[in-house]
Amino acid sequence: MPETVELGFAVNGRPATVRVEPRETIADVLRERLGLTGLKVSCDAQVCGACTVLVDGLAVSGCTYLAIDADGRTVATVEGLATDDRLSPLQQAFIDEAAFQCGFCTPGMLMAATALLAENPTPTRDEVVAAIDGNLCRCTGYVPIVEAILRAAKAAR
Amino acid sequence: MIDPRDPGRSAVPSPIGERVPRRDGVAKVTGAARFTSDLAVPGMAVARVMRSPYAHARIRSVDTSAAREVPGVVAVVTAADLADVHLYYGHALADHPLIADGVVRFAGEPVVGVVAEDAITAAEALELVRVEYEPLPVVTTVEAALAPDAPVLHERAAEERPHRGFEERIERDHPNVCSTARQRWGDIAAAFDGADLVVEGTYRYPISYAFAMEPYTSIASWADGALTVWSSCQHPFMVRDDLARCFDLPQSRVRVIVPFVGGGYGSKSYTKIEPLTAALALRARRPVKLALSIDESILTTRGDGAVVRIASAFDRDGGLRGRRAEILLNTGAYAENSPLVGRKAANRIAGPYRIPAVDVTCRVVYTNTAPASSFRGFGAPQGNLAGESQIDEAAERLGFDPLELRRRNIVSPGESLWPGVRGMDADLDADVCLVAEQLDWWSPPAPGRGRAIGISASDAGSEPVTTSVVRVGADGSVTVTAGSTEIGQGSSTVLAQVAAGELGVQLERVEVLQSDTAAVSYDRSTGASRTTTLMGLAIAAAARDARDQLVGWARDTLAAAGGGVEETHGGVLADGTFHDWGAVVRAWFGGAYGEVIGRGYLRREGATAAMPPFWEIGCVGVEVSVDEETGRIRVERLVTVGDVGRAINPQLVESQDLGAAIMGMGMALGEELIWTEEGALLGGSMVDYRVPRASDIPAVTTLLAERGDGVGVYGAKGGGEGALNPVAAAVANAVRRATGVRLREAPFTPERVWRALRERDFGDG
Amino acid sequence: MIPRFAHARPGSFDEAFAAFDAAGGDAAWYAGGTELLQVMKMGLARFGTLIDLKGIAGLAGIAGDDAGGLVIGGTATHREIERSPVVHAVAPALAALAAQVANPRVRNQGTLGGNLCFAEPHSDPATFLLAAGARLDLRGRSGRREVAIDEFLVGPFATTRAADEILAAVLVPAAAPGEGRAYEKIVFRERPAVSVAVRVRVADGAIVEARVVVGSMTDVPAVVAGAGAALAGSSADGGIAEDSLTAAAEALARLPAEDDLDGSADYKRHLAGVLFRRAVRAAVSEALARA
Repeated sequence: MPETVELGFAVNGRPATVRVEPRETIADVLRERLGLTGLKVSCDAQVCGACTVLVDGLAVSGCTYLAIDADGRTVATVEGLATDDRLSPLQQAFIDEAAFQCGFCTPGMLMAATALLAENPTPTRDEVVAAIDGNLCRCTGYVPIVEAILRAAKAAR
Repeated sequence: MIDPRDPGRSAVPSPIGERVPRRDGVAKVTGAARFTSDLAVPGMAVARVMRSPYAHARIRSVDTSAAREVPGVVAVVTAADLADVHLYYGHALADHPLIADGVVRFAGEPVVGVVAEDAITAAEALELVRVEYEPLPVVTTVEAALAPDAPVLHERAAEERPHRGFEERIERDHPNVCSTARQRWGDIAAAFDGADLVVEGTYRYPISYAFAMEPYTSIASWADGALTVWSSCQHPFMVRDDLARCFDLPQSRVRVIVPFVGGGYGSKSYTKIEPLTAALALRARRPVKLALSIDESILTTRGDGAVVRIASAFDRDGGLRGRRAEILLNTGAYAENSPLVGRKAANRIAGPYRIPAVDVTCRVVYTNTAPASSFRGFGAPQGNLAGESQIDEAAERLGFDPLELRRRNIVSPGESLWPGVRGMDADLDADVCLVAEQLDWWSPPAPGRGRAIGISASDAGSEPVTTSVVRVGADGSVTVTAGSTEIGQGSSTVLAQVAAGELGVQLERVEVLQSDTAAVSYDRSTGASRTTTLMGLAIAAAARDARDQLVGWARDTLAAAGGGVEETHGGVLADGTFHDWGAVVRAWFGGAYGEVIGRGYLRREGATAAMPPFWEIGCVGVEVSVDEETGRIRVERLVTVGDVGRAINPQLVESQDLGAAIMGMGMALGEELIWTEEGALLGGSMVDYRVPRASDIPAVTTLLAERGDGVGVYGAKGGGEGALNPVAAAVANAVRRATGVRLREAPFTPERVWRALRERDFGDG
Repeated sequence: MIPRFAHARPGSFDEAFAAFDAAGGDAAWYAGGTELLQVMKMGLARFGTLIDLKGIAGLAGIAGDDAGGLVIGGTATHREIERSPVVHAVAPALAALAAQVANPRVRNQGTLGGNLCFAEPHSDPATFLLAAGARLDLRGRSGRREVAIDEFLVGPFATTRAADEILAAVLVPAAAPGEGRAYEKIVFRERPAVSVAVRVRVADGAIVEARVVVGSMTDVPAVVAGAGAALAGSSADGGIAEDSLTAAAEALARLPAEDDLDGSADYKRHLAGVLFRRAVRAAVSEALARA
């Protein structure tokens, strides 16, 4: 029987307990055990950012972050951005600026942007670009994504 | 067709031409949107694939005995276990076995499939499989593959299939030529003999990877001898037909369902891993999910690389007299859709120019590399690099402004590029001037910068074969069924807009049901930029059919005998009283229920008789700078024009143009897959394959040109690929103007530029 | 996917060594895991047990030492280094470099200690720290030993760390009066294609000492002795003498290099020369400011 460990962590503000093998990544656990399929796995090499998830507010590559390392921590995914069925200003800005097409990079982009705005609520355009430079998008050409993040920052002021 | 500007009694504003927010927005920004990779079905098992390490080899033996013993393994499958399956599929040439059949033709080809309760068990079981190979000689370049003594990749001629996209028999003049396409008209010898200037050159376009961020993923499930497949694919009906053939099933007993697709760009056109997944599910007697990684996806489909030898002949007054080209496409181990890519490459290298004589041959060549298939641009980018570079070269040598040389030779609206084709349904001269103006063409750029404009015209739209059903219910709400897939282009939004516009109902009351071959009627494909135009026409036809029936119903039930019924926007006037469509339905059925079913069919007939259904225009301008110390090019400004006739949703068009142009920029600046001579792919992962990032993006202007000149609804034509085609040549031409160096091999990596600069300065590369 | 492994999370060095022994030596330390987990996923490495070092308090944190240098704990992340006021004060080039490693996620998760132990030939920090003359504090069962980074990095993915030794801290010397340190890189894909780190010490308007390191071109970052020697003696005020720069560049042009996806050997040597000039200018600037 493979060794398993019981983990407890907060996901989007709610406590979650799950028994996992050490080898399972946070991406595996979120997607397959907790049904939170918003986080996507694409390159599986920490390059594309589709799997971006926040652990204690810091963006990490879910595909290469062990679930056991999230024990006792807070995890934030795209499913937690809306509150009481109301989209966050950032999500609304993505819709208003059409900052997505196929949508596969979108959860990762939103989490990268969320981490940025939490730390720097008034980013310059260059700071926005730097914050998402590690998140690939193959559809949009990035311009509407940058605009959406700037728009959300402005809306929050 | 109802004029959407006539409000009628219902006064519902038309959404045609509006930047309506995308329907899939909330789902995609909340993470609720489901892609095939997110799906699971009850009882599902998981598959993994063992792939050949050899680029060309005979399979001597496969020992799966240890793998079969691993607890949790459900099935282990090789070609030998599939005697009841037609292994070979391919909509143009059925040369592609769903799993290696005695021989492997590229490193990465699937050889063994394992199905297990979970992925780690499948992976561990695969480690126990032993395969013995007998290596064969390898060819990875077109030149090597065409050598007289080259090893032959396909001993047996494969069956030619009807869906290849063109009518001629596929011609092959060397065993490793998969197909040949020719385009010829006029007297080419006279064109060149009498020329004042001939420019010649050889150009190279990279082997590319589309990098759809969702990898290939399929789920197959058998029940009572019928097959259901969920797949991240663009053409569910094409896949259905290939599956029906592989498994000897009537098409009606094969169901292909496509949820949101995480990127396609043509790389998910036609059949990929679905037959393999279905075969694994057949042997496993369980539903099976096969989810490839990105690294495996790179080995599944890539874009055709090209070598283009081209010569263009000019009069001293700038008239383009003739163009000759030999295009070699490196299509990898299997044909896939490359015969059509080759056909289109041959058609499109003439560019949108009036050329009295053309002689083009495009040979699509097999090599022991991953298979190439459709990819955005589809043969146009490869030839455009060559053709548009030559225009600028000729302009320089003849003393013309490159814009003026283009304008002198561009075909006029209505003029056919070659005999028998639809006249140009675009005003290219106006497009090119729009770009020039936006790019400040007539004032000199800052020192160290260069500008260029590029243009392309593609015979797009594929076949105008599609159908749609529009249903209006008792409450007046509308259901549209469409085989089109939502691959990010916004089909789920724009098709709703068309239906709402055609029926005069509120957009919020229209629902579009897509891409489930059991639930929607036939559509050929989502590709070739055809969906808004052709599915739009089918929906309009279905809406008209629904309205015609409803008018008749109103006559029968809502007007007094001999009374008048008049169709109006959103309903009818019966004896002067307005009734919306729902009221008509209820009246006819005699209660609070019922539905009208409107059908739309599209084929080569009437407005869509001429081919191509439309010309897809690419018109871009760039301004570049070059860091001469490192050779690195930066695109500083980018201008695109979306000449789409009518932008049903301008936002969607601009989005597509930007995305396409940036993808083109990727191939111009750094995207390239490289195989060693032994057939190994160097760096086949996103760590090494360099696509554009947020910091690479220039200052962008996306323009629209709407002249109502398309065959589609409201004068629409297709877009989404055009803006990619001319980017590489525009960058090369702009670099020439900035630095004096002429680049002929894309991607124009910093090293290639640096070598060209050294050649300029020292005469050594 | 990552193959199966057992896991331990010790709270102290003693517990860590005990866990290593309990695993029969078939174990690896990890902190961020960005490189280790990646190679395990790719089937290039396998361990029976992974031992998480993040629970050992003594490995965390960044502090100044009594001599004005830095003590960077083995589990300090690139992000922490980027944001650390003491790093900014003592080695601003290191903070700037940390801000440019890979991408934000790798910087949040990955540690300097892990980076050095993994010994990727394209490592940004290794290149800089070799120029800066950093030392490494290694802990084993029998105690502590200190080793110069020159002697630590010995090959591609190879260090002189024993498998059961833990990299406890990276010791970065303070910049001496008149000393400046700079790092330049060029990136085409994910990892640097070429990088150059320069440390110079200036006195009386002249360069008295210089160390030039080229990274990403060879199996380990390489000290280019000829380039350092060529700079020594050159004036620093009002620009560096062109013939010194040329002589230094010639030393760089003799560097061994391999053709790879980032470029041919020739081209990379050329880039090394370009980056060298940029790095020297920056290092001399800082040096003059500290003189």
